[in-house]
Amino acid sequence: MMNALKKFSHWPVTILMLAIGTALLIFTSTNERYYRNPVAKIEQTTITQHQSLHDEFNNTDQQIQQKIRARILNGRYKNHQIILNNAYTKSQGMSHRYSRGQLLILNPITQQQGRLSSSIVGLKRDRLITMLLWLVMTILVLSMQRAGWLALLGVLINTGFLIIMIKVNNLLNGNQILLIASLAATIFTLVSLTLILGTSKKMLATLIATLGGTLLSVIVGVVVLKVTNNKGVLFETLDYATQQPIPLFIAETILGSLGAVMDEASDIMATLYELKSVDSKITQAQLFKSGIKVGEAIMGPLINVLFLIFIADTITMSLLYLRNGNSWGYTFSMNMGLGMVQSLISGIGILLTIPLTSCCGAYLLGQRRDNQ
Amino acid sequence: MSTISVLSTILLILMLLIGHKHGWQAFLGLVINFVLLFIGIALMAFQIPPVIVLIVVGTSILAVTIFTGNDDLAVTTTSFWSSLIVLVILSGLIVLVNYHAMIQGFSNEQSDEVAGFSVQIGISFLQIATVSMIFSSLGAIAEASIAVATGLEEVLEHQQLSTTQFLLSGFHIGQQIIGTTLNTLFFGLFGSSLALFIWFSQLNYSLEQIINNQILGQALIELLMSFLGVLLIVPVTTLVLKHRQLDKQNQQ
Repeated sequence: MMNALKKFSHWPVTILMLAIGTALLIFTSTNERYYRNPVAKIEQTTITQHQSLHDEFNNTDQQIQQKIRARILNGRYKNHQIILNNAYTKSQGMSHRYSRGQLLILNPITQQQGRLSSSIVGLKRDRLITMLLWLVMTILVLSMQRAGWLALLGVLINTGFLIIMIKVNNLLNGNQILLIASLAATIFTLVSLTLILGTSKKMLATLIATLGGTLLSVIVGVVVLKVTNNKGVLFETLDYATQQPIPLFIAETILGSLGAVMDEASDIMATLYELKSVDSKITQAQLFKSGIKVGEAIMGPLINVLFLIFIADTITMSLLYLRNGNSWGYTFSMNMGLGMVQSLISGIGILLTIPLTSCCGAYLLGQRRDNQ
Repeated sequence: MSTISVLSTILLILMLLIGHKHGWQAFLGLVINFVLLFIGIALMAFQIPPVIVLIVVGTSILAVTIFTGNDDLAVTTTSFWSSLIVLVILSGLIVLVNYHAMIQGFSNEQSDEVAGFSVQIGISFLQIATVSMIFSSLGAIAEASIAVATGLEEVLEHQQLSTTQFLLSGFHIGQQIIGTTLNTLFFGLFGSSLALFIWFSQLNYSLEQIINNQILGQALIELLMSFLGVLLIVPVTTLVLKHRQLDKQNQQ
């Protein structure tokens, strides 16, 4: 084990990451002065009222009034004390129970007869999120080294492109989201694959297979939606839609399935290249068959990844519907219908990519039988 | 026919065309997982404590995903135990993080959606959020574990390795899957949060509003935790496989 430790740890990187971590921790612990809104630290909380709640669906809960004494950390009233009122339910569905030591973001403070008053916007989460990001990044680069750095770099570059994509979408008033998303998908794939595979024929083939698979699945999805007249799909239930929901939904689907499709295409292509290096005389038919075999083994787990994420994300809202006396059918179509369509299209994408990648690989690497 | 049933039929047909027997298995796995999650939601709606639901349903989903995902019993058994170990570690961390991040329930951005509902449903939203987050990480953990175990079994067939060499092999396989796995999760987040990002941008959210936002926080924590699970699965799978191999040798 000691040997392993010596081999795995790269002290310069470890020290660098620790230094970055310390700097981030110090910055996010003292960055209130950069906040436009007042930030306050809770010094004491007292419960002023306690009340049982019953609703028409036989749900019982408790409503609690909380008086919070906090110290303001920035702005004009720095170091002043402020008293805040907070009402929350015990289940904390749309309200929070705050406790001593937490940092709150407040609405602008007003002063009436010498007393400061404000209301709570929410919890200051930046430190936790930043440190969590740092922790995962540190483990990534320490355990995966070069591959870890490259993965990280890919994420950073692609996040940059995502921001540009959203800005462009706003400039065009959300009218060209499909075009923008397709372009973004191409750039995302190009960036990710270049970092993982470098610029090579292999990268190009994987790129074509990934984009082809995604495109095909979206075409299948759109055709099915058209043919079935969107039956059972409620586009108005798309969350946070500030523009035309149908194109936005398709754009989400393209981006959402891209990663899984890329994952699969790279896996298949890697195996085909390995086979070629072992047997340089391998035929197209043999390569194609092997490609399908690899795809067959990974398709189930990969589709499961997407399905589990999608359903898990709808659990909270579904429970709210069910506990409010709604039927399963209604709950499903309001909360899961769109996600289901999205996951199915992604699943179809993952499946179509298997023969497509195998074809690309076989064409690129295999010998035609008549050449033999 | 409804859109969902047509798409499901296409999915099934493609699975059968590509995978034959495997296709049935994969489709069945998907359907069983679906049913399991519905049972999980139903149990929580009947006010069974989310923790119990997590243990029963979570373990079952893991088993279904892994045992329908691969035919090699040596691989699946290793994957299952490694995923379970990682799941326990990860659950502890998720509980801790969620407790401090307070990302449970609904945020202001969702107030339109939940208007007209009674939000006082008497089930701890913190527990619901935690269980959901753990469920969403199951797939990625299982997938990575199968990949690492399959790769290592192949290495094992060719040579005998010491624990250290074995760990190095494990990390080597990990390095091959980590980039694409991160992409799967990351683009998944891009896709599922695209509308939210556009919302932030169109309503001119400031940086401080975005970084402290409850929904984004939830999505980010979910992504980071799933990814951490994948990072953890690499050494854990390696060690479990080595342990099982030693056990087998001792028995012989």
